[in-house]
Amino acid sequence: MRRGSSRLVLLLAGSLALAGALGCASSSGPEIRTRQGTLVHDPLEPVNRKIFWFNDQLDRFVLEPVATGWDWVLPDPAQRGINRFFTNLLFPQFLLNDLFQAKWEGAGLATGRFLVNSTAGILGFMDPAKDWLDWKPQDEDFGQTLGWWGSGAGPYLVLPFLGPSNPRDVVGLGVDGVSSPIPWFAPWYVTVPMGGVHAINTRSLHLEDVREAKASALDFYSFVRNAYLDYRENQIRDGQEPEAAPAREDLYYPDSDAP
Amino acid sequence: MRRRPRLLRALSALLLALLAGSLSRQASAAASARDTIEQTSARVLEILRTANLPVEEKRRRIEQIAYDTFDFDTMSKLVLARGWRDLSPDQQHEFVGQFRTQLALTYGRRIDHYGHEELKITGERTEPRGDVTVQSRVMGGQYDNTAIDYRLRQAGDSWKIIDVIVEGVSLVGSYRSQFQELLDRGGPQKVLALLREKNAAGASVDVAEPPPKTN
Repeated sequence: MRRGSSRLVLLLAGSLALAGALGCASSSGPEIRTRQGTLVHDPLEPVNRKIFWFNDQLDRFVLEPVATGWDWVLPDPAQRGINRFFTNLLFPQFLLNDLFQAKWEGAGLATGRFLVNSTAGILGFMDPAKDWLDWKPQDEDFGQTLGWWGSGAGPYLVLPFLGPSNPRDVVGLGVDGVSSPIPWFAPWYVTVPMGGVHAINTRSLHLEDVREAKASALDFYSFVRNAYLDYRENQIRDGQEPEAAPAREDLYYPDSDAP
Repeated sequence: MRRRPRLLRALSALLLALLAGSLSRQASAAASARDTIEQTSARVLEILRTANLPVEEKRRRIEQIAYDTFDFDTMSKLVLARGWRDLSPDQQHEFVGQFRTQLALTYGRRIDHYGHEELKITGERTEPRGDVTVQSRVMGGQYDNTAIDYRLRQAGDSWKIIDVIVEGVSLVGSYRSQFQELLDRGGPQKVLALLREKNAAGASVDVAEPPPKTN
C-alpha cells in the first residue's frame, strides 16, 4: 500500500513536469483562439488531419455500424442505464481528482453519488442521487486537474483511436488509467471487453448527434478541434465563466481587433 | 468661491443621475434580453408540442421565429471576422442569406426529436460593452442538464441573439474557425461555393432521412 502511494506521488510529480515542458515546447503552426481567448497551436496539423481521417474511417466502417446494430437491439433507456453504470464505475477517478483540486464539496458529492447510486440505483444503472436528491453528476479527470492548477494545454493533438487531445490530456489519460482501481478487481479479459461495450454504447447514444455534426460542418476537422478546445476549457472551469474576460470579448467585436 | 460647492453638488447630482440612469438601463436591459429568451423558447416549445401539425409546418413556423430573434447580419460579420471585409457587398449579401439557410437546416433537421424538454433560465450577465448573456439549462429529455447560454445584442428597441454557447462551445466560434480555414485556403469564392453546395445537399437530406426511432 505504501509502495503504491509513493509510486503515485512520483507519477504525479513527473507528469506535472512533463506537461509543463510540453506546454512550453510548441508555438508554431496554425493559431486557434479559444472562446476565452487562449491561444492554441496546431503545429502537427498535416499529421493530425491524417490521424483524424483514419479515426473517421474506423468510425464509419467499424464503430458506427456496430453501434447502429446495438441501437437497433437496445431501447434508449437501457442504453442510458448502461452509460450510467460505466459513469458510476469512474467514481475513484472523480474522487481522486476532486481531492487533487481541493474540491472538498465535490469529493463529498462524488462519494455520496457513488454510495446512493451503487445501492438504491442498482449498481449504478439508475441515478436516484440526481433524480431524488438533486446531486448532479460532475466529471473530473487528471487533465482537468492539471488545467485547474494552471498547466497549459500544449499543442493540439489527434491520437489514433482516442481522438482529439493535447499533451496535458495525454498525461491525464495516463494518470487516470494507472490510478484506476478496477484492474485490482477484474482481469484484463473482463476489462477489455467492458471497454468495448462502453465505447459501442456511448457511440450508439450519439448516432444522430455525430451524423448531424458531420452534415452541418464545413470543415469537420476544424469543427471538432474548436469544440474540443472550448469544451475542455469549460470543463476545467466547471462551467463557470470568468467575470472580467476582455479576451473573450474579441470574438464579438472583430473590428476592434488590432490588425 | 461661493459657487463652487453648488457646482460640485450639481456635478455630483448629474453624475449620480447618469450612474443611476445607466444602472437602471442595465437592469432593464438584462430583463428584456431575458424576456426575449423566455418568450422565444415558450413559443418554440408550443409549436413543437402541437400534436398533428406536420413537421414541415412546424419547421416553417420555427424558422420564422428564428428570423425574428437571431441577428444574422451581425452573426455573419462575427463568423467571418476580419475576412468580412474581403467580400464584395454582393458577396456579403449572399453570405448572410446562405449562412442563415445553413443554420436553419442544421437546427431544422431534427425538429421532430425535440419537444420533451424545458428551458430553465438560471441567470444573466451584462457583458463589458453592453451585450447581455442569458444563461439556461435544458431540463429533461436526452440533453438533460445541458448548459446553454444565449448572447444578445440590442438592435433598435429589441434584443437579438448573436451567439449560442452550449457547454462552453460557441456557435460563432465554431463557424469562425471553420470559415477561417476555408478563407485561408480558397478565399470568399470557396466559402460561398461550399455553403451553396451544403445548402443544396441539406435541402435534399431531409427527404432521405430515416424515420425517427420510436423507443
